[in-house]
Amino acid sequence: MRPEVGARAGGRLGPKGWVYAGKYSFERYLYTLHRVTGVGLVLYLLLHIYETGLRLRGEVPWEGLMRLFTAPVFKVGEFLVFAGFAFHALNGIRLLLTEFGFFLGRPSQPIYPYSTSVRRHRPLSYVLMFAAAVFIVLGGFGIFS
Amino acid sequence: MRESRFWALSMLAAVVMLVVLTAHMAVMHLSPLVGVSLETTRSFAAVLDRARSGVQTWGYYLLLAAALYHGLYGLRGVILELPVGRAGARAVTVILALVGLIAFGYGAYVVAETARLAASGI
Repeated sequence: MRPEVGARAGGRLGPKGWVYAGKYSFERYLYTLHRVTGVGLVLYLLLHIYETGLRLRGEVPWEGLMRLFTAPVFKVGEFLVFAGFAFHALNGIRLLLTEFGFFLGRPSQPIYPYSTSVRRHRPLSYVLMFAAAVFIVLGGFGIFS
Repeated sequence: MRESRFWALSMLAAVVMLVVLTAHMAVMHLSPLVGVSLETTRSFAAVLDRARSGVQTWGYYLLLAAALYHGLYGLRGVILELPVGRAGARAVTVILALVGLIAFGYGAYVVAETARLAASGI
């Protein structure tokens, strides 16, 4: 964090730190978004299990529920769930790969200009986030078409 | 079980989900891209049709278990970063485990009943 950023916020960033935290890296924002999408998806999962159970009431209630889900507000919600899934899954692949040591490069002496494992795997981050964006766009076509 | 084993199980659940959840999301949300409307994919007839496949039924059991474990374990990790104390941490673990067991029990019942309905030819 740059000193002036903290000073401007009275020494504490508070909720502002979620969207702007000075010198945080790209991966730090991926970490935040991974958490937000993860918590959102697990809460949705519990609702989804309940909603899926309504099919046991028979065909008419089920078809009625599916018709309700064609309303714009549910379409937007569905898109957010899909986007959250696409991001969480692809960022999760990055986390799995780096957790097991892939794309981090070999350890080296700290000689300027420094090469960190985060910088070494940044191209992977960009590729996976591009793939997430492609999936999110495809999801948008699927859901809103 | 040691904490590292819970974590390893969560990673395994993530790998399982990369396969089964991706397939589920593709079928449920991307079918219009191959010319099948979402209404058709989600119709009662289509639900029963999928439930006739043993592979899909077992895939749903697997997805249910993996998603609940990975999701609730992750949520536990987030909550335990708060200053909840030792007793609080234990309570969070027990509550989330109960939520997971109840949700899995209900979800598995729905999957099994749907398969039974499908097999009965309704």
